[in-house]
Amino acid sequence: MTGLRTPPDTGPATPAGDDFAEPEAAAAIARKPGVRLGLMGWLRWGWRQLTSMRTALILLFLLAAGSIPGSLLPQEGSNPAAVSQYYTSHPVLAKVFGGLSLFNVFGAPWFAAIYLLLFASLLGCVLPRTLRLVGSARQPPPKAPRYLTKLPFSASYAAAAEPEAALQAAAALLFGKRFRVRTGPGWVSAEKGYLREVGNLLFHLALLGCLVSIGLGGLFGYKADRLLVTGTSFDNTITALDEFHPGRMVSPGDLQPFTVSLDRFSASYVTSGPLLGQPASFNAAIRYSDRPGGRTRPFSLSVNHPLVVDGVRVFLIGHGYAPTFRITDGAGRVVFSGADPFIPVETSGLTSEGAIKVPDAQPQQLGFIGVFLPTAVDAGGQLESRFPAPLNPVVSLVSYAGNLGMNSGPSQSVYTLDTSGLHRLPIAPRPLSVGQSMKLPNGLGTLTYTGYQQWVSLQITYDPGQLPALVSGIAVLAGLLLSFFVRRRRVFVRAEATESGETAVEVGGLTRSDAAGGFEDEFSSLVADISGQAATE
Amino acid sequence: MPVNTGLAQVSNDFLLVAVVIYALAMLAFACDFAFGKKPAKAATAARVPAPALVGAAAGSGDAPATDLPASDGPAAGVGAAGAGGGGSAATTGRTGVGRWVAIAVTLVCLGLAAHTTGVVLRGVSVHRLPWGDMYEFVTALTCVAVAFFVVAMIRYRAYYLGLFVMVAVVLVLGLAETVIYTPAGQLPPALQSYWLAIHVTAMTLATGVFFVAAVAGITYLFVDRHARRVAAGRPAGSDGILRRLPGPEALDRLAYRTVVFGFPIWTFGVMAGAIWADRAWGSYWSWDPTETWAFITWVVYACFLHARATAGWRGRRATVIQLLGFGCLIFNVMVISLVVPGLHSYAGLT
Amino acid sequence: MFRLPSTARRAVAGAAVAAALALGAAACGGGATAQDTAVGNGSSFVSGSYGTTQYQPGSRPRAPKVTGTTLTGSRFSLSADRGSVVIMNFWGSWCTPCRAEAPVLAQLARTFSAPAVRFIGVDIRDDPASAEAFMRNFRIGYPSLNDPNDAVALDFSGTVPPAGIPTTLVIDRSGKVAARIIGPVSYNGLKALIKQVSAERT
Repeated sequence: MTGLRTPPDTGPATPAGDDFAEPEAAAAIARKPGVRLGLMGWLRWGWRQLTSMRTALILLFLLAAGSIPGSLLPQEGSNPAAVSQYYTSHPVLAKVFGGLSLFNVFGAPWFAAIYLLLFASLLGCVLPRTLRLVGSARQPPPKAPRYLTKLPFSASYAAAAEPEAALQAAAALLFGKRFRVRTGPGWVSAEKGYLREVGNLLFHLALLGCLVSIGLGGLFGYKADRLLVTGTSFDNTITALDEFHPGRMVSPGDLQPFTVSLDRFSASYVTSGPLLGQPASFNAAIRYSDRPGGRTRPFSLSVNHPLVVDGVRVFLIGHGYAPTFRITDGAGRVVFSGADPFIPVETSGLTSEGAIKVPDAQPQQLGFIGVFLPTAVDAGGQLESRFPAPLNPVVSLVSYAGNLGMNSGPSQSVYTLDTSGLHRLPIAPRPLSVGQSMKLPNGLGTLTYTGYQQWVSLQITYDPGQLPALVSGIAVLAGLLLSFFVRRRRVFVRAEATESGETAVEVGGLTRSDAAGGFEDEFSSLVADISGQAATE
Repeated sequence: MPVNTGLAQVSNDFLLVAVVIYALAMLAFACDFAFGKKPAKAATAARVPAPALVGAAAGSGDAPATDLPASDGPAAGVGAAGAGGGGSAATTGRTGVGRWVAIAVTLVCLGLAAHTTGVVLRGVSVHRLPWGDMYEFVTALTCVAVAFFVVAMIRYRAYYLGLFVMVAVVLVLGLAETVIYTPAGQLPPALQSYWLAIHVTAMTLATGVFFVAAVAGITYLFVDRHARRVAAGRPAGSDGILRRLPGPEALDRLAYRTVVFGFPIWTFGVMAGAIWADRAWGSYWSWDPTETWAFITWVVYACFLHARATAGWRGRRATVIQLLGFGCLIFNVMVISLVVPGLHSYAGLT
Repeated sequence: MFRLPSTARRAVAGAAVAAALALGAAACGGGATAQDTAVGNGSSFVSGSYGTTQYQPGSRPRAPKVTGTTLTGSRFSLSADRGSVVIMNFWGSWCTPCRAEAPVLAQLARTFSAPAVRFIGVDIRDDPASAEAFMRNFRIGYPSLNDPNDAVALDFSGTVPPAGIPTTLVIDRSGKVAARIIGPVSYNGLKALIKQVSAERT
């Protein structure tokens, strides 16, 4: 959109956003010969509005359409396992989708192109309008049109007072109602509702602000995960994090150096009724310090109640169990003694799966995979967990020996065992209760299930764009409300002396074809006030 | 605090009663179409004139707006019954209502009362706002939608839309009671936050408002098609129903006004959801499927508002956009929440 | 389709160019590749973040004060080793690349002996039994600090943070960090570095 060139005879340039009157009505009036209300300027402005909005409309639609695959297909950022699953189950389709970045829509270049172009077009429209608005902020309303009765709202009446007096009274009244008033020979022109355009521009600028905030967060923020077993602590360094997703401009030294230790985790579950087993509350009692050597403070971490330390937020995301084992190898030495986190695979009983790897056992490396059942119940020969609390915690493991594949090659997940270099040991998996042991055949060692701990999974996020996004969001809403519910309207009054000695007063009103409606009432009350005023003069 | 299962059961009963009453209302509307007297042809001139900004049927401006149908009903009913379905009506075309419509609207209001009671009782039984899982959300949503619709229906005298709305409501509510039903219970920890009140309430209200707009939009399409056929001189088909509905401009305006009213509420709801997500999940926008579709819905309605301001796009094209937006909204609630896994799957269904 | 007036076209074109430039940054910003480091899903580095960084004598960051207890129970203090070249290796028995480089470190520790060169390990997120078994298995002759909470890494976060494990730091005789190697060390590479730093006059 360019600067508006107004025809020279309409007096001062009409302010930005001057889209008064429905274009059809305006055109209808314009067709009447000799009626010059500056409508040519309005029409031209309307035409430009049309062209630029169409661009914005198309881009807006593309943005929405582009988000659709991002919501229906699994996305790499949130569900990488499902993406790999898709590749195995629909290999050809997955290749096509992957090539189009459909498994990472919101980071895809084409998606970014759409929203950046949209906001470029927005910027190209909003900035000149803002400048114009600032420039015209002080401008008076335009001259009153000749024939007020042709306006969408009009009224006329006869008044006893002199034309001048009537006009002055009207002007004073309108001024009192916070209209911006301008008088001329035989007419009064008043305008109100400039906030509408302010609201409109604020809304669009604030949308830009949201985009910038999201960009800020994406560049300078980071997100990380850490699984923490009760009784342990971690410092916020890369080596301590299980997953680390930094923004482009984040380097390892930028991580805020706080420490969090987990003292106790407590969870309560629904114990009766149809929702048996559903979690009722989670609470992690932690201690934290914001820098090495700083004061340690306690905190109660729960869902919806994150820890905020040094601008970083730590969220409680999930929890589970880490059974503890003591494993002695064939040479009789203790080669493993500690907690091993297992991952829940279902929610009603928190049945969890995991692996134990003992790569330094002699004479052979040992590996185990199995399940942990918090409340193990015999269900027709099969063990299953009926309740998520550890009322009867049982572990059942399958034993392997051989080469775990950990001395070279790619890294492995700690929760799964690569059995390609292992052979299964001829010992049947037996459910173990706390304190029970399993003696491995061929003198390979002994495993004792010594107990269990709980763990919490924490999400650590740092987003410098969070506050700007909030501010922008509020501004979006404010701008929206202003632009919808503030009416830009103009009221004109003309008074002429008639032959009969009275004064013929005409009042005309004009409003943007607006959403909120209600100008009719305002106009009628204005007319009543003005005519009432004139009568008392 | 323990769940009051007795009250929860009563709540279920009230909701079932509401479904039954809505179904009866649906029948009453249908009976009106079948047996009610048709308005006189001259009444078609009593459409709302174009430039009026208020859609209320002042008609030609002289006939005073008649009151609510309930009070009008018996008088008109007597005349209608006496005339035996055809013939000269005692009422002035559009401004009068038939007996069946009066019954139907009364039933709708009764059903709404039962519906609201059911929703409120559910809330009382679980000691929190009754929109914590999918079932509660859908029942509350339909309640708000019907409430808004009743207001619009009475204000714009568009009683005859009632049939279609009741069909939809009966279907959805029936689905809620059977397929989506979740027993009353406490909320999981992730939902125990005051943001539930703010975010879900806003989305529910906005959906109710957009529902009215969608109904107006669909009606507009039929009425507009009929009007253009008549204008083109082509055979118009059965126009008994269509002549009773408000005119296209009034419907267009109603749709626009309601979207304008609902759009800030929807925007606020999305923002409140983002703030809540930030507190609960660590990120105010993580492209979760429900979030994404709420955004898509927002964009489509924004397109509608832009399109409406552009002269050539008024009318049918803009209405299609608006209906597309509502379609996205329904898709989001019905399909995405239940089918696609994501952070929003608190539906109570696993 | 439609025609924008010329000034609008220029404005939009200019903004679009700026947008395209920003595209490169913003589009990739949020989706940076994850540097999975530790136990969570067990993998270590995305390859490409491996590498050696050397610091020239004049501009070396000073190593922080590091104290701790070794796995055998003795006290350790980095400042006590001032005057020796210190090779500090961050490892864990569960970490595959650490296991891959362990023979190299063990061999180099036998080649370069104290007091000229001292090796010290920092064992992360391990239980002592597994760590001792590891050291037995690979015949690691030098002590390791027991650091289940990554406190040592935290000490370094202000200077030369170990950006994952394995990381090996070469600290010169005056207590400044001369080099950082991210990823498993190679025999020749680390040997050359040790020789080079040892040959420096303090």
